Amino acid sequence: MWTRRAWVALLLAGVVAAAAWSAGDSGALRREVYPAQFPAGDGKALADRYCQICHAASLVTQQAKDSTGWEKTLAQMEKWGIEPTPAEHDSLRSYLLSHYGPRAR
Amino acid sequence: MWRRREFLRTLGLTGAGALAGAVLRVPSAWAKTPVEPELIVRNTWPEHWETTLEALGREYFTSNERFFVRSHFPVPELNPTTWRLEVTGLVERPLSLSLAELKKAPQVDAVHVLECAGNGRGLFQLPNTAGTQWERGAVGNARWSGPLLSTLLYHADLMPEAKHVWFEAADRAPLPGVPPFVRSIPIEKALGDTMLALRMNGSALPRLHGAPARIVVPNWYGMASTKWVTGIRVEATPSDNHWFARGYRYVYPGEDPASAPPVQEMKVKSVITWPLEGVRLPGGGVHFAGFAWGGSSGVKLVELSIDEGQSWRPVFLAQETSRSAWRDWSLDLPVPSHQRMSAMVRAIDGNGQQQPLAARANASGYANNSIHRVSFRVD
Repeated sequence: MWTRRAWVALLLAGVVAAAAWSAGDSGALRREVYPAQFPAGDGKALADRYCQICHAASLVTQQAKDSTGWEKTLAQMEKWGIEPTPAEHDSLRSYLLSHYGPRAR
Repeated sequence: MWRRREFLRTLGLTGAGALAGAVLRVPSAWAKTPVEPELIVRNTWPEHWETTLEALGREYFTSNERFFVRSHFPVPELNPTTWRLEVTGLVERPLSLSLAELKKAPQVDAVHVLECAGNGRGLFQLPNTAGTQWERGAVGNARWSGPLLSTLLYHADLMPEAKHVWFEAADRAPLPGVPPFVRSIPIEKALGDTMLALRMNGSALPRLHGAPARIVVPNWYGMASTKWVTGIRVEATPSDNHWFARGYRYVYPGEDPASAPPVQEMKVKSVITWPLEGVRLPGGGVHFAGFAWGGSSGVKLVELSIDEGQSWRPVFLAQETSRSAWRDWSLDLPVPSHQRMSAMVRAIDGNGQQQPLAARANASGYANNSIHRVSFRVD
């Protein structure tokens, strides 16, 4: 004879098994979720102000570039309309390079 | 033998409710669209949303809600009752067509794969990389309906100098200095199977996918299939727009983007949608499944290896729906219990081109058709 407790235990076991399967099934596929905010530091306010005119921070936080790469990116954005001062430009490039520099091979 | 769909159905885990989802908050200038639980958000706005392999594997036609999204600029608000499509340039009879008029034109119904040119960029692991780090799910297969572009062009009556067709669209960047996205295709492709899609999988074209009308260029990477199209301009030369003249090029070290080969036809490719990476399976046998697609020569053969590429065996390849649709492949294999396993799949196209183990990386990470490998455990 199945008691109520046994039925509840069986149901819970099923739920746990289903959750485990679901997590194992999809968790690895969701590993890449890029930060939606720029990290704190000198240059964050500039990144917030200039980068997020056209796109979310996550487009930047998943990228990796050396100094030349970020310089080219900033030059392109300035050509298209952002207007940082020369000091802001340098500060922004340093900030991006320090957080999103080239990946190690 | 356990099949994934049956297992999930048993547990009541199929459908959108299988996974937890989230509604993202984005600035008011952008579309406040809930993100489907089975889309991986690679960028919140503009929308760079990738379909999970799990969701892709569930159905032959990728549902509109789960179809990957790649937008360059904010999604424009277009009123379908006032929207018009202008056909201009090197034509004897310029046209200005309403949606109602386009619906009255002869319609075609065709199945085409769309794949983002950057699909797989994130898997290159480039030391310097710009753009979204897509993995494998910026691809989908849908039934598209609407008039062929050739129907409109013949009606407009092309001049003899007509060599290229430019597509203009309604989406614009918030900064006025950013060039609009204006690409072109050669007249031969425009007069072939290229279509103006008004419907997707039997429903009106969704807003995120270009409503009220988008171009679909079969067998070409997705950047050619302009969304929210408003103008079709016939010219003697290719587009001189930034996104065409400099963007979407196979650039290798030391090369000038302007002279590098353009990204056009899709390269032959395949994915394993089951087993998924890291799953545990009951012993006895494994059901392998996935899709394969490619350029205009179609997919000729798909092969599977379970010994790290030492030997390959052909899989069952479902009949071709159309040359530009993807094809289901599957194979059931008995496997020993209590071991970790891996599987690799490779497709070969009608020209004999085979997926490489590791595709040569170009600077922008386009067209990564490297062989897909998954590892899993058999209990």
